[in-house]
Amino acid sequence: MTNQNGDEVGVLDLATGKTVARIPVSGKPAGVTLTRDGSRAYVTSPEGKALTVIDAAARKVVDRIPLEGGPLGVAVHPTGRPVYVADWYAAHILVVDPETRAITARIDVGKSPSGLAVTPDGALLLSADRDSDELSVIDTATNQRVARVPVGERPFGVTVDAKGERAYVANVASNDVSVVDIAASKVVATVKVGERPYVIALAGDRAFVTDQYANRLSVFDVRTLASVGEVDVGEYPEGAQASSDGKRVYVANWFGNTLSVVDAETLKVIEEFETGDGPRSFGLFIRATP
Amino acid sequence: MKFHVLAAAAALAVGLAGVAEAHGPTRQKTSKSVEINAAPDKVWAVVGNFQDASWIPIVEKTEGTGGNDKDATRKLTLKDGGAVVEELLTKYDAEKFTYAYRITNDVVKVLPVTNYSSNIVVKGEGDKSTVTWSGAFYRGFPNNDPPPELSDEAALKAVDGLYEAGLKSLKDKVEKGS
Repeated sequence: MTNQNGDEVGVLDLATGKTVARIPVSGKPAGVTLTRDGSRAYVTSPEGKALTVIDAAARKVVDRIPLEGGPLGVAVHPTGRPVYVADWYAAHILVVDPETRAITARIDVGKSPSGLAVTPDGALLLSADRDSDELSVIDTATNQRVARVPVGERPFGVTVDAKGERAYVANVASNDVSVVDIAASKVVATVKVGERPYVIALAGDRAFVTDQYANRLSVFDVRTLASVGEVDVGEYPEGAQASSDGKRVYVANWFGNTLSVVDAETLKVIEEFETGDGPRSFGLFIRATP
Repeated sequence: MKFHVLAAAAALAVGLAGVAEAHGPTRQKTSKSVEINAAPDKVWAVVGNFQDASWIPIVEKTEGTGGNDKDATRKLTLKDGGAVVEELLTKYDAEKFTYAYRITNDVVKVLPVTNYSSNIVVKGEGDKSTVTWSGAFYRGFPNNDPPPELSDEAALKAVDGLYEAGLKSLKDKVEKGS
């Protein structure tokens, strides 16, 4: 959990709900992602202009790579490198080699890039460009933008499905989710959700959207795009991600300082765990342990 | 140097004039409480009317429409300069003694924040109540490296000050009838 106001990354054991480590990370940590093998966590500090590298098993900071601007969204290539970091203040994405610690490229995108996601095959990087109302599609082989997809107003979080066919974009100002056909680079549907949607977690055939102002999740079926219900969670829900088996959805409640555990089938809140101060967990933050 | 200042001012003007909701990357939050020697319904009778913010010391006048229904609006004219803050009621629950609202026109001159949302809740039993006032907001400066008066710290300090003064005034009003 990136506990932004607490300047730390908390590690929570989901079986017990206990915080098992609190790792100090300065600069108001916000974005987080994990390598596919779960060995490394990458955390952005927008106020500290840095990318922190955490050994996820040892729960220790192993590196802090100085960056520039306002690092926010973060994603890592399925092969483990490079790491992509959205610069909130610039209209580009930083391509960071975590081994050499170098910024190897700056990919031009729209204004205030926020959420990032890489397709499962690693071929494409998607960037929700908040102040351009667009989703950028980037070829990771060339680091060039190959498509700009107009979406709703102020897109923030972007999530790609397991097959890499569709992307779901949460539009905070228009209170809807744009469903994007990635290959065709176009919006195929727009789904109305609650107030101030932030990110989308996918579990099975369901999409769970964190509605910040409504303190709830809007849930819809990704096949029919029809609503299947709402779930009351904590105050200011932000980051959300499903368990690897798709049975649970974990929601970071930024104001309430809790993590809600939601049953993806019954839509009931099973548990609410305490966290550190200001959990955002903007990105992928659930690590499967052996 | 001059250019730097001008550029910063221009960026700020764009951020405000555009109402583009551009903001810094780190939302701030704060929460203040006060204990009042009065029953919750007595406290609610004062604080629970969205159309009367006279318990907040800096408010000169409240004008609005929609009563206490969701989507009601109010305009708070402030003392000392007469700045007007416009607010929207986003949630109202008279049974739980709570409501939530947002500022719809950022006025960073008087409150150096943007994208401000807030809620107030009254809890308690018998003749004791606790009022909690919470807010979430971004600093007044939407871009990187803010000037000190529009920094995260300045935003927090201003809202903390508002809440502390407001809750003290509410306590006085309820307990002393002043």
